[in-house]
Amino acid sequence: MTPALNPISLLFASIFTSNILLANFLGMCSFISISKDMKSSNGLGLAVTMVLTVTTAVNWLILQMLQTLGLVYLRYIVFIIVIAAVVQMLEMIIDRVSQTLYMNLGIFLPLITVNCAILGVSLFMEIRNYSFIQSVVYGLGSGLGWWLAIMALSAIRKKVEKAPVPPGLKGAGITMIIIGFMAMAFIGFGGMLQVQ
Amino acid sequence: MNKEGTLYTVAFIFIVSFAFVFLLSMTNQATIERVRLNEEVARQRAVLSAMGVEATTVDEIRGEFGRIAADEEQGLFARRVDDRTVYAKEFSGAGVWGLITGFLTVTADLEEFVGIEIVDDNETPGLGGRINEPWFKEQFEGQRIPDDGIRVRAGHADPEAGIVDGITGATGTSNAMQAIINRTVEQFRSPDIRARLEELAGQLASGGEV
Amino acid sequence: MSDVDTRPGAILKNNLWTSNPIFMQVLGICSALAVTNLLTNTAIMTIGVTFVTGFSNLTVSLMKKFMPRKVRMMVQTLIIAFYVIIVDIVLKAYLPEISRNLGPYVGLIITNCIIMGRAEAFAQSNDPIPSLWDGVTSGLGYMGVLMVIAVFRELLGFGTLFGYQILPDAFVPWTIMVMPPSAFFLLGIIIWAGKTAMNREGAPA
Repeated sequence: MTPALNPISLLFASIFTSNILLANFLGMCSFISISKDMKSSNGLGLAVTMVLTVTTAVNWLILQMLQTLGLVYLRYIVFIIVIAAVVQMLEMIIDRVSQTLYMNLGIFLPLITVNCAILGVSLFMEIRNYSFIQSVVYGLGSGLGWWLAIMALSAIRKKVEKAPVPPGLKGAGITMIIIGFMAMAFIGFGGMLQVQ
Repeated sequence: MNKEGTLYTVAFIFIVSFAFVFLLSMTNQATIERVRLNEEVARQRAVLSAMGVEATTVDEIRGEFGRIAADEEQGLFARRVDDRTVYAKEFSGAGVWGLITGFLTVTADLEEFVGIEIVDDNETPGLGGRINEPWFKEQFEGQRIPDDGIRVRAGHADPEAGIVDGITGATGTSNAMQAIINRTVEQFRSPDIRARLEELAGQLASGGEV
Repeated sequence: MSDVDTRPGAILKNNLWTSNPIFMQVLGICSALAVTNLLTNTAIMTIGVTFVTGFSNLTVSLMKKFMPRKVRMMVQTLIIAFYVIIVDIVLKAYLPEISRNLGPYVGLIITNCIIMGRAEAFAQSNDPIPSLWDGVTSGLGYMGVLMVIAVFRELLGFGTLFGYQILPDAFVPWTIMVMPPSAFFLLGIIIWAGKTAMNREGAPA
C-alpha cells in the first residue's frame, strides 16, 4: 500500500524539513571534503540532483520486477549496479551533448557512485512504499536539499577559514559543529509544513 | 591466459557474480521459513500487546493467541481479557513519511481504549518514531473515548478532556496518530464491523475457547 | 602504500588511534550516525560494519591474484554487497526487532567509505590474514567513536543505557540529544578532543 502523500509537500519536506543530509546523515563523505570550495560544491550538487532523480526512477521500476520474481533480498546488489550504470551513462551522454558541462561535472560523476545519499534514497523509497511519482519527487527533492546544504556549508566555511579556531578543532571538527547548527536551523522549517 | 583480456574479464565477472548470488540464495532459502515465522509471531504479539495481554516466549504467544477469535481478512479480533470482552482492529494510515500500521483495542461497549500497538512506521527516528515508546502507548490504557474523538497534543495531556500527550517537535506525527485513531474508532462504530465483531465475540461465548 | 607496517600490533594502534577512520579521516560516518541515539542499535550496526570490513578485506586479498584490473572496483563492490546482504538476512532471521529499527541503514553499509577504502588501500596489496586483521581493527576504531557518541546521546536523551534506566526519574531528558544535530556536535567535540590529545603526543596530525 502506498502512503497518501501529496507530491508537493513531499518535495518541500525532502528539501527542508527532512533534508537527506542534515536529518538522515547521508552523503557525508564527499560533503566534507568537497565543501571547501564553492565552485566544486555547485557542480557536485547539480550532479547529485541529476543522478538521484534518474536512479530513483530506474530503481523503482527494477524493484517492481524483483518483487514479482521474489528476489527482493538481492536488491542491494542490484541497486548499486543500477547506480553505477546510470552514472556511467550520464557521463557518456553529457560528454556528447555539452563539452562545457562535461568539463564542469565530469570529475564529480565517478565520486557519486559511492555517495550514500544515492543508495539511501533508493532504500527509503522502497521501505516507505512510495508510488512512482512519489519516488521521483522524493529523489529530486533530496537532491535539491543536498545541493542547498552543500552550497550553504561551503559559503559558511569560507568565512570560518579566517576565524581564530582552536588548533584541534580546525578542519573537520569545526565543520561538524557548523553542520550541527545548520541541522538545527533546518528543523525550524518543520513548523511550516503539516504533512497530512 | 591473459589476465587483462576481455574474455577472461567477462568470464571472471560471470563466475564471481554467479558464485555470490548462489551463496546468497542458499542463505536466503535457509532462513526464509524463520523470517516468515518471526513475522507471524511478531504480528500475534502485537495483537496481544494491544489487548494488554503479556506474552514473551513463542509458546506463550501461540497459546494466548489461540484464545482469540480472529477474522484475519478484515483484521478484526475479539477476546475476553479480565472478564470483559475486548475488540481489536488493525489500522493503517498515512504518517509523515510513510504508512503507520498497528492494532487498536477498545472495550466491547466502545466506551474506553484498552491499548494500542504500532507494528510498523517510518517516522523520523527519535522524533515521530517515539510513538512506539511505552509512555506514548500506555496513555491509551483505560482512556475514555470522547464522542468527538480524542486529541493528541504535545505537552497538553488531559485525560479527563480526552487529550493525550503528543510528541514534542513532531506535530505532523501527532496529528497523523490523532487522525488514524479517530478514524479507527469510527470504523469500530460502523454497523458492519460491529456486527462482525459481535459474531466473533459470540464464538468466544459459546465455546469459551476457539 | 607499499611501506605499510604489517605487524599486527602496528596495525592495531594505527587503526584504533593514529589514523582512526573517523577522527583522522572523517570517513564512513554517513551510514551509522543516524542510529547513534540508542546504544543497542549502534552496537549491532557497528558489529555489522566490522564483520563486513574484515571479511571483504579477506576476500579481496584472497582474490587479488585473479582480479583483472579493469573491473577491480566493481568486484570489490560486489564482495561488499554480498557480505552486507548476509548481515541483513541474519538480522532479519535472528534479531527481527533490531533489523526493523535499523531499517535501510543496514543496506547503507555498502556505501560506507571505510570498507571500500580499506579494500583499496590495504587488502589489494597485502596477504589475507593481515588484511582480515586490518579490516577488523578499522571496524573497531569506528565502533569505538560511535559507541562514545551513543553513550552520551542515549544517557542524556532518554536517561538510559542499553535500555536500562540509569538516571533518576527527576532527570529531564534533553530532547536535542535524540535529534540529528546532537550527533554532529558530539562528533565535532570528539574530533577536537582526539586531535588535541594527538597533538600533545607529538604525533603528526
